Amino acid sequence: MGILDIFRGKLTDPTACAGVHAGGDIVTTTVDAVVRWGRKSSIWPMPFGTACCAIEFMAMTASHYDIARFGAEVLRFSPRQADLMFVAGTIVDKEGPVLKTIYDQMPDPKWVVSMGVCASSGGFYRSYHVMQGIDEIIPVDVYVPGCPPSPESLIAAVMKIQERITKGEQAKRPQGEHRLGAPGDGAIDRRYRRAFWAKDDAERARQGLPPRGVVPLRVLPTGPDSESHHG
Amino acid sequence: MASATQTPPAPAEATSPIARALKDELGEGVLKVEEFRGDLAVTVSPQGWVRAATALKTLPELDFKLFLDLCAVDHLDDEGRPERFEVVLHVYSLSGKHHVRLKAALPEREPRLPTLTGVYRGANWFEREAWDLYGIVFEGHPNLTRILTHQDFVGHPMRKDYPTAQRHVLHEPQRWLLPVPAGSEHVVVNIGPSHPAMHGTFRVQALMDGETIVDAAAEIGYMHRNFEKMSEVRSYWQIIPYTDRLNYCSSFMNGHGWALAVEKLMGIHAPPRAEAVRVILSEFSRIMDHFVCIGTNVVDLGAITPFFYLFRVREEIYDLLEACCGARLTVSYVRIGGLAQDVPPDFSDRCRRLVESVRKYTDETDRLLTRNVIFARRFKDVGALGADEALDWGWVGPCLRGSGVPYDIRKDHPYSGYDQYDFDVPVGTVGDCYDRYLVRLEEIRQSLRIVEQAVARLPGGPVIVDDKRVALPPKAQVYSNIEALMNHFKLVYEGILAPAGEVYGYTEAANRELGYYIVSDGRKYPRRVKVRPPSFNIYQPYPEMIKGHLLADAVAIIGGLNIIAGELDR
Ligand code: SF4
Repeated sequence: MGILDIFRGKLTDPTACAGVHAGGDIVTTTVDAVVRWGRKSSIWPMPFGTACCAIEFMAMTASHYDIARFGAEVLRFSPRQADLMFVAGTIVDKEGPVLKTIYDQMPDPKWVVSMGVCASSGGFYRSYHVMQGIDEIIPVDVYVPGCPPSPESLIAAVMKIQERITKGEQAKRPQGEHRLGAPGDGAIDRRYRRAFWAKDDAERARQGLPPRGVVPLRVLPTGPDSESHHG
Repeated sequence: MASATQTPPAPAEATSPIARALKDELGEGVLKVEEFRGDLAVTVSPQGWVRAATALKTLPELDFKLFLDLCAVDHLDDEGRPERFEVVLHVYSLSGKHHVRLKAALPEREPRLPTLTGVYRGANWFEREAWDLYGIVFEGHPNLTRILTHQDFVGHPMRKDYPTAQRHVLHEPQRWLLPVPAGSEHVVVNIGPSHPAMHGTFRVQALMDGETIVDAAAEIGYMHRNFEKMSEVRSYWQIIPYTDRLNYCSSFMNGHGWALAVEKLMGIHAPPRAEAVRVILSEFSRIMDHFVCIGTNVVDLGAITPFFYLFRVREEIYDLLEACCGARLTVSYVRIGGLAQDVPPDFSDRCRRLVESVRKYTDETDRLLTRNVIFARRFKDVGALGADEALDWGWVGPCLRGSGVPYDIRKDHPYSGYDQYDFDVPVGTVGDCYDRYLVRLEEIRQSLRIVEQAVARLPGGPVIVDDKRVALPPKAQVYSNIEALMNHFKLVYEGILAPAGEVYGYTEAANRELGYYIVSDGRKYPRRVKVRPPSFNIYQPYPEMIKGHLLADAVAIIGGLNIIAGELDR
């Protein structure tokens, strides 16, 4: 099979790599399609591993799951040589500027996989030092749920990225920019709420009002004319 | 099941020689001596703080040389206490085989205490942490700056009146960690966080003279995700998944340690079958942890083959864990008082097969590495630390044993029935990277011995205590009888209500002593949970250790120390 067979649709999805077989050994297609096809099959990922998820990431690259089957085994620890970043693990506010710098250092075009719930949304760390999702500062292409995601779902993420590469899609803006620095749920401590309510109740009591939220029950007048109702 | 009756207020002053010796030394400075569940706690006045610590360390009959932990506790809204803060020190005596807890109460306004850095060198980072999280000022501390949170952070987040999730954004990271002398010809190299030569999220800045490191400083906190704050708004059960993520290379052991600490607080014991399964899975986790340590360490040195070998067998251990509880890495398999459910019927066979294959791969790795000239040259006499210094910094576990101190909690304070098993504690002689590697390799073999013995006499019976304060009733009963339903409801709704008191529970985790200091006030949530973070103590002398070495050695040393970000920064 010659190289041109690839464009004849034997190996790739013909709709993704639009090509016209002009007969003989000639195929006409777009440069874009060829480049994307090349990119897709030789992803160079960069692990940005910080926590537990990084261990499962290692498992994916090691012998059992073997990411080499998808042409993505050339792990680069330098962002300048990578086109796919795996953010594996919790990103805390202190790490934020570092992540941003490293993302900016990657050459375009670049893709980002947010691995695990911590990177995607802060996970179960709704607390004072944890970024509630890396998309507050960098664009994310694929979110992988799980704590940690199994290596299988990571491989699925790589395939999703391949899909996006063939379609020429790429996330451009941090989707959660508007949330940057917003407190996670639970910021409003119950203690605060209770203290606030107590103050409010006292204030209203001084004005002779019942506490907010108390539904005043209307007492029906009992008297001769109420009798007539039943009459 | 042991009874959970409250221990009567023992006249601890009279019985404990430690308390008596401290009394002799400080006189009126000793304010209170308590004993709860076998833990001795001595409260001293802030003025007597340094003297008490010095006496503990230097008096020959006390000999508390091993620094374990220092932390602060916030007692806001606790009517029984006149002072809001408390600073707590944990130390251990190798000769007396005894822990002691030293406490000092501090007022809400301007909490100040003299520093202990002159007594225990390891106290340095711990005091910075107490300042960072609680705002306690340690007078005379050489560098009292933020350590876990970032420099733009406002407030002291572990204080009870700080909202749990109030964040502050950092825009610019701290550029310089080191003072560079003006006109110096040396080059500053910044390594990490997220650097090709660094593991994960550590950061070291080194001042280089050619290839040699002249000066170095480390910064941590790039993974500070607030385990301790989260624990204060979670019930004892809900904390189990969080413990899995402390040292995620051996998740099971963290949960094991947590369960033991809470069981100590409650005064209960898990049934024998649960203990045996815990031991087996803990030892397999230890093996996994050592595998990751050795595997990634040699990857740093440029050898990738052992990594593939070791991860191959790690997958098999994962399979065992998955068969037991359905998860690979973050297992959440222990429960307070036992285990979540029984092991699968073919558990023993699986374990036996696994022992065989672990042994095979370990031998293979041994053959690949131990006598490999390149490996030996990179490791021998690199990063040596003497025993005394190691104790002063608070090293425990394989690293301390590499330095030649045969302290292993499984032997010295057996828990979960470790006293029934026959195993040896390997120690090194020099305390260099090579010794630490050899100790780890031998520990894998010893763990296999323990597993074999435990599997051979795995007892039958239930895997969780029959105690309605901690264990959910069986599902069948919940659906068929009202009392079980009520218990189920109460336990889920109210959580485990531990008695008021403080305990320090400790286990020999894969990479050293993992301790949990729990302060309970009898409510659903613990008032304070402090992890004695093993990696914190180990990482602290790292900048000192690499001074004078080549830059390439710095990489070899950090891999061998096995620092795990999850428990370093919590
Ligand atoms: S998602 Fe879960 S496993 Fe991954 S880093 Fe967060 S806590 Fe760890």
